[in-house]
Amino acid sequence: MSETVTFKLNGKDVTVPKGTTVMEAARRENVEIPHFCWHPGLSVAGVCRFCMVKVEGRPKLEIACNLQATNGMDVKTDTEEAKSAHKWALEFHLINHPLDCPICDQAGECGLQDYYMSVGKYQSQMTRPKVLKPKMLDVGRDLVLDTERCILCSRCVRFEEEVTKTGALGIFDRGDRAIIGTYPGEKIDHNYQTNLVDICPVGAFTSRDFRFKQRVWFLKDKPAVCPGCSTGCSVDVYGKPETRSYFRLKPRKGEANGHWMCDKGRHMYSHLNQDVRLRTALTTDAQGRRKDTNFAGAIEDLGKRIAAVNPATDVALLVSAQHTSEEYKSLFDFFVGELGIKKVFQWREPTEKIDAFDGLLYRGDHNANTSGLLSALKEAGLAAGLKNEFDAVASSGAKIVIAVTPEVPSTFPSFEQQLNRLTELDFVSFWTLAGSVADNKKTKHAIPMKGFPEKKGTFINHEGKAGKLDSPFPCPVADGRDLTEIIAALKQWRHSHGSR
Amino acid sequence: MGDTLTKVKITTAFEGKPNARALKTYVDNGGYAGLKKAFTMQPGQVIDEVKAAGLRGRGGAGFPTGMKWSFVPKDDKGPKYIICNNDESEPGTFKDRYITECNPHMILEGMIIAGFAIGANKGYIYTRYDFFEEIKWLETAIREAYDAGFLGDNILGTGFKFHIDHYAGAGAYICGEETGLLSSLEGKKGQPKLKPPFPAISGYLHRPTIVNNTETLAAVPWIINHGAAAHKTMGTEKSPGTKLFCLSGRVKRPGVYELPLGYPIEKLINEDAGGMLPGYNIKACIPGGSSAPILTAEELKGLTLDYEAIAAKGSMLGSGAIMIIDDSMSMVELLKVTVDFYHHESCGQCTPCREGTGWLANIMTGIMAGQGKKDDLQRMFEISRNMEGKTICALSDAAAMPTKSIVTKFGAEIADFIERGKRA
Repeated sequence: MSETVTFKLNGKDVTVPKGTTVMEAARRENVEIPHFCWHPGLSVAGVCRFCMVKVEGRPKLEIACNLQATNGMDVKTDTEEAKSAHKWALEFHLINHPLDCPICDQAGECGLQDYYMSVGKYQSQMTRPKVLKPKMLDVGRDLVLDTERCILCSRCVRFEEEVTKTGALGIFDRGDRAIIGTYPGEKIDHNYQTNLVDICPVGAFTSRDFRFKQRVWFLKDKPAVCPGCSTGCSVDVYGKPETRSYFRLKPRKGEANGHWMCDKGRHMYSHLNQDVRLRTALTTDAQGRRKDTNFAGAIEDLGKRIAAVNPATDVALLVSAQHTSEEYKSLFDFFVGELGIKKVFQWREPTEKIDAFDGLLYRGDHNANTSGLLSALKEAGLAAGLKNEFDAVASSGAKIVIAVTPEVPSTFPSFEQQLNRLTELDFVSFWTLAGSVADNKKTKHAIPMKGFPEKKGTFINHEGKAGKLDSPFPCPVADGRDLTEIIAALKQWRHSHGSR
Repeated sequence: MGDTLTKVKITTAFEGKPNARALKTYVDNGGYAGLKKAFTMQPGQVIDEVKAAGLRGRGGAGFPTGMKWSFVPKDDKGPKYIICNNDESEPGTFKDRYITECNPHMILEGMIIAGFAIGANKGYIYTRYDFFEEIKWLETAIREAYDAGFLGDNILGTGFKFHIDHYAGAGAYICGEETGLLSSLEGKKGQPKLKPPFPAISGYLHRPTIVNNTETLAAVPWIINHGAAAHKTMGTEKSPGTKLFCLSGRVKRPGVYELPLGYPIEKLINEDAGGMLPGYNIKACIPGGSSAPILTAEELKGLTLDYEAIAAKGSMLGSGAIMIIDDSMSMVELLKVTVDFYHHESCGQCTPCREGTGWLANIMTGIMAGQGKKDDLQRMFEISRNMEGKTICALSDAAAMPTKSIVTKFGAEIADFIERGKRA
């Protein structure tokens, strides 16, 4: 048991580990202390001077972020003096702020707006012209910087120093002329840029990707796990169910990722939107004519084909590692357990460097559930090595290949090439999200799948830790199913048609 | 109570001597005797002596020097640092420059004694960039001290090692704030550091560091040489010793005066400085550099120059820069140049200072341009009040205090300016 201290916070006794700041303790106790520069994932800067609290017996207000709680300390966050300090701190932050909320992406999730409602609500006293600063600066691939909106909290500067260790940002000039920026001729160049948009408490850093696409109050966010690599960052997916569209991913504090996520992961929504998705099931009739069908039609077609062959020798399964452990279980229970097929292969990227790691979050294994797939294979009594097995599929002699494609084609540079190769085989049923499967004229059979924010289940990350998907969005594609639902439908069809 | 009228000179003892800055002149007149005496004492005794002498920081804050030294962890094996803050930039102040001009060896000796006291083997002098001549003099003195064995790996054969490097700032006022100075010395942007931790625990390069003003360090050799008791015979009980006062304004003899603390200000102005120039009368006085709240002519009556007496009038002794404001001067212009200065010099990290100094300057620009508003006075008072005590360093207070006092004490003159849109 580590040493603890007990102090009073707004009259209530609070016990925290020694060394805890009043800010941290207040967060634990759900006591709101307004702040801009303090961030749980960064060092203490103590510059916004917003988090002023009263410590009984001390002459001046102190900042909660740099104040360690000590035994017997009597801290109040809501005295008239503290409240006045909060209001004034906010006013100082706002006097030169452009107040361009109507055209600012941050509106709706902006610290200045939120705090104005909670500690402000004053009449502005600013009667003079404001300080003007550079706007719309291109400081990096994913970023647009507006230094006029900036409140100089220095979170971004500390992020670049402490997290990415690139030191790419600095504060130039001084006083109210100070601006955030990159060094002359340089830009931010790393895979973690959009975190700056998240940690920026105002609209100074906006995301080039998200900019002007949607007002945030129309979005719903649901927790999920990023499917982009084997780290398994906890994320929130932001979508708009009414229009069946997705807009962005943001990191949610989690064991695997702390406060951050990478820019590659940020794009793990773009494969979910309808324009790039397989929207209907496909079958091909006896005359070789391909047609759109519904889910039941595709299942019937596939059911018939499987019934016409000896599955144990004639059906092969090609599986990628981007689906949930629960899905793999139902997949193998059926194909291996019930149908007795032996030909199970993995769809992996030939160029992948599975052990690569950038030292922060991003891993070379671009599959969220390699661990889950390997243990499901083992459970099913199959060889569970990591290998790319397209050649093995092609030479397996299977008459029917079920290809469960990677969910996110962009993580597989050879996706289209492999797709082309597979369409050369006798009959491949693609279970996929990728619209390009239908675009390929040689595709004979396809079933649309649900994406990760649309299903429940588990990804096992590289450390063997489970990440849960448990609060699904409605699937934008009417016929979209997860593997468990496809298997259930196939079983149902076989049951009602007398085959076992 | 000590002698508040003594003529003893400590830091300006070499004023006017021929070849004053030379090592030989210094040594021939008792220089480095304090150091030799310090070497016969224990480091702790040196700290105790400075404590007993009641020496207070001469840079502005007046913090007891011996106490500051005692905050350095004794069991810390180093490196520890002594920094001489020679970045004199408080408007109206020109005393550290004068000490350097009189005899830079006094500063070096003070630093070596301080280093011995706290167990530091390295010192830096951080000099204001535009002291071109003084920088040369200091560097010459450092070379002389090395050559004579007062600096080096084995000083005077005692085995004590102390080195001094000289560093010139780049001209920022904020680098005279002790932690701003440390940031600058570390090669970073000159911005004060968040406290705690204080420099005595974690300062230059995160090591225990003492930053003392030039005048403070220059007084140390005398104290060690003559003893704390001798020091206490001068000045007042709580403000012992002598202090340099930089008198400016339309007096007959402006300049640097070394006077015992507790000296009557009227005596300084009317006798030492010969009174006001013909045709001018005192309207007000800024007693401790531009950061100090202004005093009216009335408030100077009977005022003595010590920390307590000036604090009792609601102002501060500060750096000892006494600026006489005469009746020809406009308080609006005075306030304008004051807030412009702090606006220009605010480092910008703390919001109330960054925005507050800018806001004050912005309002004053409006007033000067004849666009003042009736409630500007009240607004400036409120802005200042909310800039005070809210930031990492004292620059915000330094801008707020004079503003508050000027708009309070000379509100009528400013209101009249606003009304007319120009000076009456």
